[in-house]
Amino acid sequence: MIQKAILLCMALVTTLGTLSAQKCDLVLRGRVLHLENNQPIEAAYVWLSESATGVVTDANGNFALKNLCPGQQTIQITFIGHKEIKQSLVLNSATSNLTFKMEEEAVALTGVEVHGHREAVQTTTAVSTLYGEALLQSRGESLGESLKRVAGVTTFSTGNTISKPVIHGLHSNRILILNNGIRLEGQQWGAEHAPEIDPFLADELTVVKGAETVRYGPEAMGGVILVNPPALPTSKKSTTELNLVGNTNGRAGNVAVSHAGGSGKYPGLGYRIQGATRRAGNIQTPNYYQGNTGMSEASLSGAMGYSSSKLGTEAYYSFFTTELGILRDAHTGNLSDLIAIIKNGAPFTQPEFTYTINHPKQVVSHHLAKIKAHYHLNPSWKLNFQYGFQKNNRQEFDRRRGDLNARPSLDLELFTNTAELFVEHNLKSHWTGSMGIHLIQQANSNLPGTGVTPLIPNYDLRNGGVFLMEKYIKGPLELEAGLRYDYRTLSAARYVGNDLQEANLTYQNGSVFLGGMYQINSSWAFTSNLGTAWRPPNVNELFSQGLHHGAAAVELGDANLDTEKSLKWVNGLEFEGKRSTLELTAYANQIRDYIYLNPTGETFVSLRGTFNLYEYLQADAFFYGLDLSGTYSFTENLNGYAKGSIIRAKNTETDTYFPFIPSDRMDWGLSYSFGKNPEQGKNRITLSNALVAKQHREPDFDLAPAPPAYALLNLGYSKKLELFKNTLSLSLQVNNLLNTEYKEYMNRFRYFTADMGRNFQLKFNYQF
Amino acid sequence: MKNLKKVSLYLLALVAFGFASCQSEDPTKENDGEVITDVTLKFQELNSSNELVGSVLSFKASDPQGIEVGKTPTIQSVSLAKGKKYQMTIEVTNAIKGEDITQEILTEAAAHQFFFLGQVFDSSFFSIQYADAGGVALGLKTIVTVSSSTGTNNSNMRVVLRHDLNKSFPGASNPNFANFVQAGGETDLDLTFPVILN
Repeated sequence: MIQKAILLCMALVTTLGTLSAQKCDLVLRGRVLHLENNQPIEAAYVWLSESATGVVTDANGNFALKNLCPGQQTIQITFIGHKEIKQSLVLNSATSNLTFKMEEEAVALTGVEVHGHREAVQTTTAVSTLYGEALLQSRGESLGESLKRVAGVTTFSTGNTISKPVIHGLHSNRILILNNGIRLEGQQWGAEHAPEIDPFLADELTVVKGAETVRYGPEAMGGVILVNPPALPTSKKSTTELNLVGNTNGRAGNVAVSHAGGSGKYPGLGYRIQGATRRAGNIQTPNYYQGNTGMSEASLSGAMGYSSSKLGTEAYYSFFTTELGILRDAHTGNLSDLIAIIKNGAPFTQPEFTYTINHPKQVVSHHLAKIKAHYHLNPSWKLNFQYGFQKNNRQEFDRRRGDLNARPSLDLELFTNTAELFVEHNLKSHWTGSMGIHLIQQANSNLPGTGVTPLIPNYDLRNGGVFLMEKYIKGPLELEAGLRYDYRTLSAARYVGNDLQEANLTYQNGSVFLGGMYQINSSWAFTSNLGTAWRPPNVNELFSQGLHHGAAAVELGDANLDTEKSLKWVNGLEFEGKRSTLELTAYANQIRDYIYLNPTGETFVSLRGTFNLYEYLQADAFFYGLDLSGTYSFTENLNGYAKGSIIRAKNTETDTYFPFIPSDRMDWGLSYSFGKNPEQGKNRITLSNALVAKQHREPDFDLAPAPPAYALLNLGYSKKLELFKNTLSLSLQVNNLLNTEYKEYMNRFRYFTADMGRNFQLKFNYQF
Repeated sequence: MKNLKKVSLYLLALVAFGFASCQSEDPTKENDGEVITDVTLKFQELNSSNELVGSVLSFKASDPQGIEVGKTPTIQSVSLAKGKKYQMTIEVTNAIKGEDITQEILTEAAAHQFFFLGQVFDSSFFSIQYADAGGVALGLKTIVTVSSSTGTNNSNMRVVLRHDLNKSFPGASNPNFANFVQAGGETDLDLTFPVILN
């Protein structure tokens, strides 16, 4: 009664206040989420009784009602299987943005659709996601290459087949990749070790740009990449997707199929199977073929799940295998070989095209199995459990003599167990959060018989962490904080000659973060996140000792290295207008005891010739930069986009630059749509231009100076057709249209060869 | 609820099994197979009718640990007489593993080749030709002719073993081919012997 009276008073006041100009031009924006997991609800119906207008929420759960008159309104939100929301509110200029959470009906009625459960990224830090059309355009590329579409993400690559994502200048062990929620654990320390994951399994690639150690565990220092498969179907409805990709360069082809379906008999039961394969031969630069750069890859994944109103379970398995040829001439015997090829600027051997993969090569396989369950204790509390098992095998073959040639020089087997148990609460009041424990166990073994002293020792690793996060949401404001504590033990052993080397190390660290998001008005939003992260030194940094085959380098580890600790502050500003969008991310990352491979400047002599000597050192580092991306619709048919990123990274102790920090770059393009429904993009021509600056901030020592700046032009045409009532997407893309010869600073093979030349790519996607 | 308990018990058992079965193997000793520890150059005089005469002169370069930081190889000086012709044979071994690598090089003659460089050739003190069985350009066996007049008694000879090269690359048939890198492949041996001429 009192509440109503207050509301009435407020309504009166606001009405009076606006009486002089009683304009019906207010906009009510809002978002509808599932109460249990904060996921957006698509197609919820929002109705304002007094104004007699209604709208349906979009894929992100957002809605906007325009041309509303000030005053009291009753908002009514309905969505199948959920309790109706009915609330009074007073409309004035301040009530522009609201969040509604819908609770599932306790009683599952027959015929009621049970929605799939997929965890949404709940963070106040800057997040960019590739999905839908953008993801479709990236099909056929590796994970690293696909993610380059996100501003601020570049790749650290070894040739054109091995690429690792780099977020804000950090990569390898300083970022995390999650395969369907499980930390991907391969031998990710190696610069030439690409992530063992096929992006075809995902319908969404998300990049979290903040330090997310609290949420995901140690090492998430530069950011996190989430590779998420689609949610499992929960009703009897099957979908099949077929992707075919063909490339002229490397004469590469991909085939990918996925099929998902649900059970009609048992509502809530769903499954998905997916498989993909890729074959490619020697890559062609504008003037020559790169010898031995072919690859073959296959992946398979399957998932099955059951969702009811209270219980959700999922079993998931993925397998990935690849065989990668390494540019023959990049594998050098000693320093004078290396100098000779760098001086030549191109490989000495430039064979013809072939699919054959010879040594040196890598053969990698990765298994991941996981089970996941959640149980709704009550509408606000949810218990989650996740367990993942991973087995990674990596074999690296060099050119060797005699029987040894058939044996790998590096043969590693890595087992990883991860388990997570946590409770989430999503209170009807403004609080949501989670707390739990996170365990990682890892066992790495060198398989005997390589005839080479192992690069890294056999080791057992155990990591235990406890975490707590809480978020407060009120209207346009979200505030978030979290903390975590981790304890890690590492015991390693290896024989070097006849000496047994053993080490037992322990590390521990606490992490905290604080973040916030503020919806300034209906089109502007601001996020800010300050977080600490840490990373214990990796085994290769601790124990490397000896020749890095092929790199003409002897690398020395240091078992006394400290953990790396970072403090990253990320700020994001987003604008979404009628014709334009804008996303600006600015960050600063202070890293204490940053571990890096430092050239000592010394060389040492053996019967095999001379080698450079490198050692792992620690120094304080400071990274900062900007990512900017935006789109603008000139007309209904003509759209433009631009994105760019700038990174500055310095060793603050010696006031020098680190190697392999991406240079300044931008990418812009125009797309023109035509046909009957241009806004649906039925026919689209896209012209884009990538501009990459020369890296002027070079380290004191590098084998070769940074390559010059370059510009690439790409042209694409895509068409959507209706075929048997389903959509068929076709696209033809020409990358590096002008066949420009260039070298990329972030490609380790820039020392040896020019980058990939012109490539025609034909894509076919059919969903039925 | 009963089912839930059962399920969670199964899950726990599975996790416990997973974690318990995950232990690294004990490390094993790995003999470096690829390492070359000893390279011996053997010279025997050839008389005017190309018959081997006299005793064999051996000069050795060795690095007992193979490639190891802080150690440099010991290389003996090659001491030869001016104006004479020698047959040179090269022996390559891995003393760590007790392996004769010479035989492996011979078996893979198509993928290996020695090149001979350094001052002795630049100043024409030496001339060299491949004399391997079957006429292949390999360099395990060569004929070395020492000039009768040399400006100095002290010189040096660089011996390079290339692996996985294109042997039919133009110029690669010459044992003194200085641009051997252009023929592709990688270096397995690159060492310089001091040479004393009497």
